[in-house]
This record gives sequence, C-alpha cells and structure tokens, in this order.
Amino acid sequence: MMFSVKSVLGNREKPILTPLTYLKCLSCETINSRPFKEGDYVFKETEEKCPKCGGTKMKIIGIYVKEPPKEAGKIKKL
Amino acid sequence: MGVGFLESLAEPLRFLQFAGQQDLLSAILSLVWIAFMMLFLFYPTFSQKLQLSYILRDLERRLYKIKQIREEVRRKTLETLKRYSEGGAKVDEELDKMLLSFAITPESMDPYGIVYKLEHIVNTWEDTFEENVRSLCSKADRERVKTLTNLVEVARGIDYLYRLIRHYYLLGKKTSNIYIVLQVQMLMPQLMEIAEAYRQACYAFMQGQPVGDGVGVLAAAKLVEGVEKKTYEVAKDTIVHETMLDGRKVYVLRAAGPGGAVGKPADGIMKIIEAEKDKVKAIVMIDAALKLEGEDTGKVVEGIGAAIGGIGVDKFKIEEMAKKLKIPLYAFVIYQSIGEAITPMRESIAKAADEVAEKVKNLIKSRIEEGFSVIVAGIGNTVGIGVS
Repeated sequence: MMFSVKSVLGNREKPILTPLTYLKCLSCETINSRPFKEGDYVFKETEEKCPKCGGTKMKIIGIYVKEPPKEAGKIKKL
Repeated sequence: MGVGFLESLAEPLRFLQFAGQQDLLSAILSLVWIAFMMLFLFYPTFSQKLQLSYILRDLERRLYKIKQIREEVRRKTLETLKRYSEGGAKVDEELDKMLLSFAITPESMDPYGIVYKLEHIVNTWEDTFEENVRSLCSKADRERVKTLTNLVEVARGIDYLYRLIRHYYLLGKKTSNIYIVLQVQMLMPQLMEIAEAYRQACYAFMQGQPVGDGVGVLAAAKLVEGVEKKTYEVAKDTIVHETMLDGRKVYVLRAAGPGGAVGKPADGIMKIIEAEKDKVKAIVMIDAALKLEGEDTGKVVEGIGAAIGGIGVDKFKIEEMAKKLKIPLYAFVIYQSIGEAITPMRESIAKAADEVAEKVKNLIKSRIEEGFSVIVAGIGNTVGIGVS
C-alpha cells in the first residue's frame, strides 16, 4: 500500500513554469505585468495600452518566473 | 481466575511456536526455514540476485518516466517544427535524423593543435544542424531558426539520455551484473532532475522565453541600456556595443538576440584586442555558474579567470590571448542549478543581472585608468533577450 501511494505521488507531473512579462510604460514609467505571450523578448518595444495613463508605448524590461517568498525557518540553515 | 486466563493464552502461543517441534506445522516451518538457510549457504549470490531484481524494477519504473518525457519533448518539438515548415516537408523523418546525429571528437594521441581541430568539427556540426533546421522550417525567420535549433538540441539531449540509461539497464539485466545497475541507480535522482529540466526547457524554447543561462547576456545588456553606444557585429552571431564610462572605453560583447544563440565570444574578444592592442587593460566575463546544494539561486560571486562553459575552445582562446598580452581576467558568476540554467529564468536570477551590472561598473572605475579600454563579455544563451 505504502509503495503504491509513493509511486502515484512520485509520478505526478510537475507543472510547466510560466513566466510573466514585465512592461514599463514609456510615458508614465509605471511597471505592469502580464502572462508571457509568444513573440515577447526583453527590451522589445510594444504597442500596448498602459492601464494607468493610457499611453500606447511600452517596453519589456523583464521576463521571469515569479518566485514565492522564502518561508523563514522551514528549513534549518546549516 | 488469573492462572486459568494465562493457561488459555498459552495454548495458541504454543501452537505458533516455530521451532518447538511439538506439532506438524512447527516441524514444516522449521524445515522451510532450514531450506531457506541452505539456499543462502549453497547459493551465495542468491541475496545479490534478489537485490538485483529490486534495483532493476526500480530502474524500469524511472526509465519509463524518462521515456514519457522523451516522447512528450519529441511530440512538442515536432508540432513546433511543423508550424514553420511547408506542407510537403517530411518533418518526422528529418527530426529523427537530427536526433541521432553526432560529432566525432578529434584524435588525442598527439594533442598538439587539438583545440582548433575540435573547434573545426564543432563549428561544422553546429552549422550543419542549423542549416538542416533552416531548410526544414522555411517559414521561420533568422531568429526563430536559431531558437528552433536550440529546441531540437533539447530534444536530442533527452533522447540521448533515455537511450544511454536504457543501454545500461538492459546491459545490467542481460549480464545480471549488479554493479552496472547499481551505478545507474545511484545516479538516477540527478538524471531524473536533468530529464525534468529538459522537459521544462522544451516549453521555454518552443515559445522563446529567456532561460537562466542567459543571465550573463542580460547583465551585459543592462550595462549599456539607455547609454549612447555604437553597436556592430564582431563575430558570428556576436555583437559588441562600444561605449564610454567616465573616460574609459568599454566594449560590451554578447551574442545577438532574441533568437537562441551563444555566439563566438572568443573570436569577438580577439578581434577587439587586435584593433585596440595594448590599450585593453582588462577582460571582465559574466556567466551563469553551477551552484552547490545549499547555496542561494541568483547569488553573485566575483572571481578571477575566464568565466565560460561549453566544450572549452572559447575558454582556451581567451586564456591564450590574455596570457600573451598579460591582460587580467575578472569573472562574475551568478549561481544556479543545472535545471534552472535551461528552464525559464527565475526572479532571483533576473534581479541578479542588475546587481552584476552595478558591480562591473564599480570594477571598471576602480581598476581601469582613464584613457584605457576594457572588454566586458556577457556569456550565455540569448533566447528571449533582445538588443538593449
């Protein structure tokens, strides 16, 4: 029983990492993020509407996977 | 009452005595036990056979998991290649040909000049590989072809890993050699981690997402972001930004993006040095480096030497040139695991690029005198990283 539970848990596929695209509005310099779209690359200038000022020119300043904050004390530091 | 109760308990216990020889069952069980002991005595490798079957079963389970990953990666690669190919192209056949392609390393009996022989073979192989992808995916542009080439390399990597583990599994099974399968079993946790990284890398290259290995290039790009500069191609797939920093001339070298390429940093550095001669006072290299377990991902560490991986050709050439002209080599590395290097870039790695850019600026200001030049080389795969 124990082995079968372990094998079921062990075979569970890890989810595919999906990065976020971080865009900087070229008018108001606000940084926004959205899920990555094919064709995005860092330093690309895109024509997307800024949710804050309504500006239409944005620059991609980063594409990365957001990491959850580290839980302090969960793993003892050696 | 107490004595009577104990007596009633003693009866079934007596019945269960194995070597008591008080009844037929005990005698049979004793005989079985002796036979079992004899088996170990007259057939000393019995325990080994038993252990071998356990290990083989464990390996079989993990090998099946790697097979599933390999099939998933192959299927996704095929789907992506078909999106960029003409209807009549035999993508299946061509992909299988590329997955099984190989390069033969040069003879090392006489090691003189081996680096340049190796460079020639690897260059030919890489060019042929890229040319095959280009002819197969006629709808893809130049940048996309480079990323698709990386994708096929990922598929080739997991395919080879699967075939290699299967080889040792079957060899161990055929020869009943516990020492072969034991070694594979010991490596399996790391190999499973690599297989999973290949799976994640496949999705990253399919969509052109930046990977952890690109942090060196990202740091180099951030160094010259928003400053006045002259940009030109210095070697194959390699660009250089010429800029000034407080009276020092800075050559920022990196592979051209946003397609997946690593360029030829050594050739680029050599060309700059040939042009600048003794004005170059330092070479600063930025690259991703493998962390040890327990170390934090994205940690920036400073050192000395040529920070560059690969087969060693670029490292050799850079070291040769630096030694000949007595140019100091400074290195900045960003720690990450092997899995993080080929999967979508993590936040901590991306943030480290800004930190490195600042540290490089400080190093240039403190170690290079005004009026002299410095070469900064951002090493890594440029997938998803454009020109700043």
